[in-house]
Formats: sequence, C-alpha cells, structure tokens
Amino acid sequence: MRHFNHRLIARLTGTLLTVMATALVIPIAVSLHYGDGAQYALITSGVVMVSIGLLLRNVFGRNASYELHELESFWLTSVAWVAVPMCGALPYLFGGVFDNVTDAAFEAVSGFSTTGSSVVPDPSQLPAGLLLWRAITQWIGGLGLILFVVATTRRMQVGSLQLYDAEFSGTQQRKLHPHMAKSVSRMWHIYTLITIILIVLLRAADNTGLDSVCLALSTVSTGGFMTAQYGLTGYSEATLTILTVFMFLSGVNVALLYNLFTLHWRRLKRNDEFIVYAVIYLIAAVSCTLAFGLSGNDWGYSVRYSLFHIASTISTCGFYTETPAVWPFWASVVTFLLILSGASAGSTGGGLKLRRLMTLFLYLRNYFIRMIHPNVVFTVKIDRQVVPGHYVNKIFGFVFLYICFVIAGAFMLTLCGSSIADAFCMAAANISNLGPSPLINSMGANLDYAMLPTVAKWTLMVLMLAGRLEIFALLAIVSPSYWKRR
Amino acid sequence: MKSSDWKALLRFLGILLIAEGGLMALCCIPAYHFNDGTMVPVAHCAAFTVAVGALLWVSFARYRSIEDVRISYLFVCLVWIAMSLFATLPLMATGATVDFSHAWFEAMSGVSATGATIFPYVSALPASVLLWRSIMQWFGGFGIILLVLALSPRLGINKYSLYTAEASGADNTGRKTLKTTVTVRRTLSVYLILTFAFIVMLWASGMQLWDAVNMTFTNISSGGFSVSSDSIASFSHTQQYILTGAMLMSGVNFTLIFFFFTLRWGSIGHKLDQFRVYISIYVVAVAFVAIGLHMHNGQEWSDALRMSIVQTASALTTTGSVVDDTTMWWTPVCFLLLMLSICGGMAGSTSGGLKIMRILILWRNARTILLNRLHPNAVNPVRLNGKPVSSHITNNVMVIFMVYGLSLMLGVMILMLCGISATEAIGATVGCLTGYGPGLGPSGGFGSYAAFSTIALWACSFLMLLGRLECMTVLILFLPRFWKR
Repeated sequence: MRHFNHRLIARLTGTLLTVMATALVIPIAVSLHYGDGAQYALITSGVVMVSIGLLLRNVFGRNASYELHELESFWLTSVAWVAVPMCGALPYLFGGVFDNVTDAAFEAVSGFSTTGSSVVPDPSQLPAGLLLWRAITQWIGGLGLILFVVATTRRMQVGSLQLYDAEFSGTQQRKLHPHMAKSVSRMWHIYTLITIILIVLLRAADNTGLDSVCLALSTVSTGGFMTAQYGLTGYSEATLTILTVFMFLSGVNVALLYNLFTLHWRRLKRNDEFIVYAVIYLIAAVSCTLAFGLSGNDWGYSVRYSLFHIASTISTCGFYTETPAVWPFWASVVTFLLILSGASAGSTGGGLKLRRLMTLFLYLRNYFIRMIHPNVVFTVKIDRQVVPGHYVNKIFGFVFLYICFVIAGAFMLTLCGSSIADAFCMAAANISNLGPSPLINSMGANLDYAMLPTVAKWTLMVLMLAGRLEIFALLAIVSPSYWKRR
Repeated sequence: MKSSDWKALLRFLGILLIAEGGLMALCCIPAYHFNDGTMVPVAHCAAFTVAVGALLWVSFARYRSIEDVRISYLFVCLVWIAMSLFATLPLMATGATVDFSHAWFEAMSGVSATGATIFPYVSALPASVLLWRSIMQWFGGFGIILLVLALSPRLGINKYSLYTAEASGADNTGRKTLKTTVTVRRTLSVYLILTFAFIVMLWASGMQLWDAVNMTFTNISSGGFSVSSDSIASFSHTQQYILTGAMLMSGVNFTLIFFFFTLRWGSIGHKLDQFRVYISIYVVAVAFVAIGLHMHNGQEWSDALRMSIVQTASALTTTGSVVDDTTMWWTPVCFLLLMLSICGGMAGSTSGGLKIMRILILWRNARTILLNRLHPNAVNPVRLNGKPVSSHITNNVMVIFMVYGLSLMLGVMILMLCGISATEAIGATVGCLTGYGPGLGPSGGFGSYAAFSTIALWACSFLMLLGRLECMTVLILFLPRFWKR
C-alpha cells in the first residue's frame, strides 16, 4: 500500500501558518499607528505562529515529496482549516478580548469560514489592530486557505486540481486557465482588485479609513463581521448602497467576475447560474419590498432595505442594519428560503449553492414527467451541457449529508438548551456561513451567540467548517480509509 | 384522458364507497349496545354512503379498466379525498362536531392513519363515533388501494402503476416479477391475523373488549386515535407493552412477518438489512429517551424505561399513541421523537414517514460518494440486502426525500403564517406529514388541534394527504402538463 504522505501535510500546513503570520504585519502596523496597545498581542501571536509553522515545515515536514493524492488533499484541507483558525484565535486571547479559549476560537473559526457570527459584545471597543485582524481572517477565508497555498507555493504544481476540488467540492467549474496555479492566481487578482475598488468607494462615502477597510474585507469575502455594536445602523445611505452592490457581486462565481472585468460580457449571458441568481435576487427583493411597503413602512425605505437585506442574505454575507418597524411574515419566508439556497457555486458565499439546487429542480421536473410518460428519456442540462447522471448522484449525496449535518447540529443545540425552532435557525444560519440575520431575531430566537454554552459554540464551529468545506473534506478525517491503513 | 377512464374511475370509487358504507353500518352496533341515541343518524349515513356508491357502480358498471396512468394517480388521490368526505358524515350527523373543517380534519386524520385529533375530550364522544374513528384508521392505515387490489383482482386497473403510486420509489423487492396480488394477499392476511391476535391478547390482559378492539384497530394501523382523552396512559403497564408490540409490528414489512410466521426463514435471511436498522434505531433511541427522562424529568428508572419503550415505538412507527404528557419532556427528547417519526418504519408496513429503506439507501449512497472521492478508481456500488441498487433508484429516492423536506418547510411556514408559534408549527407539520399525530405544545401530548384556525386545519389535512401518498402522487396533480391532452 502506498505510504500516506504525512510530511507533505505537515509541510504545507506549516507554510500556511508562516504565511498567515506575515499577514499579521498589517494589523501590527495599524496598531502602532493608532497606539491602541494591541501590537504586543499581535506580535506575540505572530511569533508563536511562525515558530509552529517553521517547526511543522522544517522538522516534521522536511524532505517531503510533493506527491498528493485524494485522501491527502482532503486531510490537508481539514488540517489546515482547523490549524489556521486555532492560531488565528491567538491575538484575541493575548489581547485580552476573551478570557477563554472557546470564545476566541469561535471568533476565529467564524472569521475564517466567512460566517460572521460574533461573540464580541461591542466590536467598536476592540483595538484597531484586532478589528482589522478579524476582517483579514475573513478576507483570507473567503477565497480559501488552500487556494492561498496553491497561489503562494510555487512547487504545488501536481495535485493542485485535487486541492481545488477538495475545497470547492462537487460543482463542475470552468477553469480560468488550463494551468491550475495560473487560474488560482487570476482568482486572487480579481478578488484583490474588487476589494481595493470597494475600499476606495467606501472611503469616498465618508467612512473612516479603518471602517472602510474592515467592511470591504468582510463584504467581498461574504463574511459579515461588522465594526459596530448594532450592525450597520447609522451608516450613510451611500455606504449601504455601495455595500448592496458589492454583496450582490460577491455572491457571483469569481471566475465569472473575471470575465466581467475582462469584458467578456457574453459569458454572463450564457451562464445559467448567474441568470438564476440575478432573477432570484430580483424576485426576492421585489416581493420583500411589497411585503414591507404594504405592511405600512415607508416605500422608499422598503425598497432600499429590501435590496440590502436580500443581497446580504443570498450572498450569505450576513450584514444587517436597522430593521423596519414592522417585519411582515412574508419577509421571513423569503429570507429563510434564501438562507438554504445560498450563492453561486465558485463564489465566496456559502449555502447549498444555486448550481446544485438547479440540478435538483431540473431532475425533479424530469421525475414528474417520467411519472406521466414512463419511457421518455431526459437529461439535466445546465449551460447547454448535460450534467452526467453520476454527477447528479454526487450532488444528491452532498445535499443529503448537508441536511444530516443541520439536523445533527440542531440536535446538539437542543441538548444545550435551545428550543427546537431556535436550534434549526442557528444550525442553518451557521452551516450556510450566513451568521447573523434579522430573520432569526424575528422568529424569536435569541441570537446572542455569546450567551450560548461552550458545547453549543463548538457545535456551531463544526457546522461553520462543515459548511465552508462542503462536508466531504471534514468527513474524510473520520473515514475508515485513513484509519484502517495501520 | 378518455372519458371511459373517468367513468371507470367513478365505478371504482363507487365500489369503495359501498365498502365504506358497510363499515359505517358496523358502528350502529355499539350505538345500539350503549344506547346513546346515535344509532339512527349513523345508520342514515351508512345508507346514504352505500346508496351513492351503488349509484356510481351501477351507472358505470360497463367501464372496467383505467388505461391512462394519469387517471390512476388521480384515482389514488380521489380515493382518499372521497373516503374522507364520506367519513365526515357520521361525525357531523351524530353532533360530535358541527364545523365541517373540524370533521374533515378528523376524517382525514383517520383515513390517513395520522392520529391527530380535533376533539379535546375524546371520552365524551358517543360510542359509534369512537368506533368509527378506529375503523377509519384500521381501514386507511393499511391502504385502501391494497384492499382494492386484494379483494377484486378482476378490477382490471393497471395494478403495477397503482401499486407503485402507493408505495412509490423505494420498494425494490419483487418489482420486476410483479406478483402484486400475491404480496397483497399475504399482507392482508398478516394484517387480519395480527388484528385478531392483538384483540385477544389485550382482552386476555384484562382490558374491556370494547377498548381492546378500538385500541388494536388504531395501533396496528399506526394510526393513534384513542378512546380516552389520555390516550394510552391510563392502561396498565402490561397492556401498554402489548400495544407497544402492536405498534412495533405495524412498522415491520408485512411480507417479512408473513415469511416469519410461515416459517420460511430461509427467505428472510438475506432481506434483513432494513429490519436490522429498524431495531438498532429503536434500541438506541429507547436508551437515549430513557436516560433523558430519568435525568431531566425526574422519572424513576422503571417509569422512564417504560415510557421510553412505549413512546419511542409510537414515534418510530408514526403511530402517535401517547403514554405521558410529552409536552413536558426534555427538548432533545421531543426533537428525537420528531426525527424518528420523519424516519418512519420499514417500507411495506403501515407506518408513515420517509421509511427506513429510503434513509438507508440515501445514507449508503452518501457513504459511497465519499469513498469514491477518496478512491476514485474503486468500485463500491450501493447495496441493499446484498444486491446493488442502481443510481437511478437512488436519485429517485433522493427526489422524494427532497420533496418531503420542502413540504415540511412549506408546511411550517404556512402554519406560522396562520399565527402559530414556530415550535408548534414544526411539531404540527411533522405530526401531520409523517402521520405521527401529536405535535409540540398545545397540539402535542394529550392535547388536540382544536385551537387551530380553519386555514391551519385545512393546511394540516392537506399535509396528511401529502404524507400518506408520499408527496409525488399528490403533487403531480398540480403540474399543468398533467392535465394536457
């Protein structure tokens, strides 16, 4: 039997931690600039991260062969996604934001998985450096840690496709470039470009520099960490409008955005998923506007709020602002459905992903037709291409596991004292990496994550990671394939 | 859709109505015996039902076969609707309720073997109504379609399409051989014998014959109506255990029971996949519920264990008999019971829910997909009872799973739209869709659905129909394509 390549996993995780530590430079600089006193915490965590990283890279991972197979890529993905958030939690611990490991880990996992559920009572009280670190964790998590490895490690030539697949599992994607590493670096370029544009726009809309950067990083990654206690309440109209547009964009496949920026407009028109995404967005926004308007809110406000709220939900970003005085039930229905559906495949958003749901619905339609005409043969077509049967099967398997995770998570939460409805809402919002949502509050759930017991927080962390890694990578760790080999 | 098909459909409906009227006439016996003055109205209802049935039968006697598969789907739905419609007659005529929505809810709950009741004080109902509720469940729980097939092989209806419509998707045993009539005869004989055996056992354990008959009818059909307001809580422990036996039996594939009692154990040996999972789920759930009841509800170990054994069986087989005020139980225990009722019993039993067969297929499919991603070159087909299951079947099962999930979500939303709290809406939706019956909150435990608004009641009755016919057969009627020529 082939040897399991532990060394490579150690080496790449080490590399990742080292690179992640260099990302701490920016918050340290900001801390020094503002003089908020968080620089010591950040520097200490940086030192710890670099030491662990170098230890893994050069001692445990020395002479690693760069040969990577499926099982290892899943393992690497899972190990990286556990190790990095745990180290990313260090600044919170050293900075004295939290006095226990659970809260710090929760904040970090929520950050890297781009969920945005926060246990910080009032983010505006955080030192500037830590606030920025929070946003940076989301920004890096948005496109994926493994893609980070692929983009930064030149030697990762072979196997990068598997890695990509392990992180963005289960959806057929057009690659931007036949060469995987090039494809990935193009994705990072476009991602960075959008972020910079957003920062400039936000700054132009009279936000402070720190706010602009933090919000921009949380928006393009569909993370949803906010910088003030009551969400975006009190921010200017211009800011909210800009954020609405960019939240919508960050729910679009990154590869497609690249086409948008390189002016290949026709690709947009030909992309069924994008059309569905846009249509769903419009329908949801219009119906929400009607619901808010008809129930007595100001119409102009209803339009603006609906556009913002629906963009925030469908992209699983999770920003919220001052909610309308009357919250009609219909808005909750629309919101809940959007939480489950999520954004486009290949975007930074979470959820089940529209592409999968489209496959499911096309298959369902065929099923009904076959009930009437048993001998007719149908295929599922997306983007004018047939989705092969075994692919449909994979998608079904994924959806089944996803639902199992939601149920199991909700069960754990009820064990910790939540009511059944709250438990389902929290489980769904966190596995889809949405985080906070006014829907959940409107259903009577108490969404103060800080008040949850420890076990519940760890449960939610598992759900966030499961949602971000689309389950399979996480399950590979418990798969007997690995444990039986010794 | 030819008009001859429609006429044949009406003819079959007529035959079923005659049968229903006959069963209704049986309810005159307790009315006469207890002399509660409901004999005359019930007799009138029975006569009316038989008359309508006979009229349909005689008028369309010439039309003997349904050829269009669409009409048979329509037929399946119409059977349940017509049955419920006529089943409301005794409820209204005896004055048990004056509200048609209430009567419809109760009738649908009976015919679909759900067991959700609209009556807060069941004990106060006249004897004829009590027996009628039990008979509805006994008749409905087993599936009227199967009765049709068993009793008249000469009906000429496309049996295959009907049978698959009733038990759609997951039953991969003997599909190709199409020995439906044989299956149905076996099933029916098992059902009758079990009913008889449990009546005798309950009677022997000291229960009144009246109670024994009613409780057997409602528990062997995984229905869950009761003759007293506190469901089965006031019966002795022995009687509760016997009823648990009846419930557990109602969740087992009847063909399996047939093989077991005819000592053809060789035929069972390689068909036990589903049964093993059924028992394992049951044992694990009993342990969890018992521990929960002991730790969090302060029950003595003996009581906790007994309640757990009874209630878990009731939930897993979607019966809905209640042994204690479950609304006070620990939340995770209630959650688990809901999940068990979604899971349901084995395919080919009278229980509702998704059926263990489907869950098993989906689970193994997910495992296979995971293995395939780890070892792309390995071949691991999904197996059930040792035989590979094609991905086509797996996908179909998944479609039902998804539609079931969507129905649950939409049900919860509609009920919340009617002003019911989130937790209670979840409970009621699961209760009605799976056929379990009691929900959470006021509609759970020994409670009733009496507080629900009219719209909510209609939504719940629709969910019951949807759940009993496993969604697809009902939903296809809403497709425009279905009605096209």
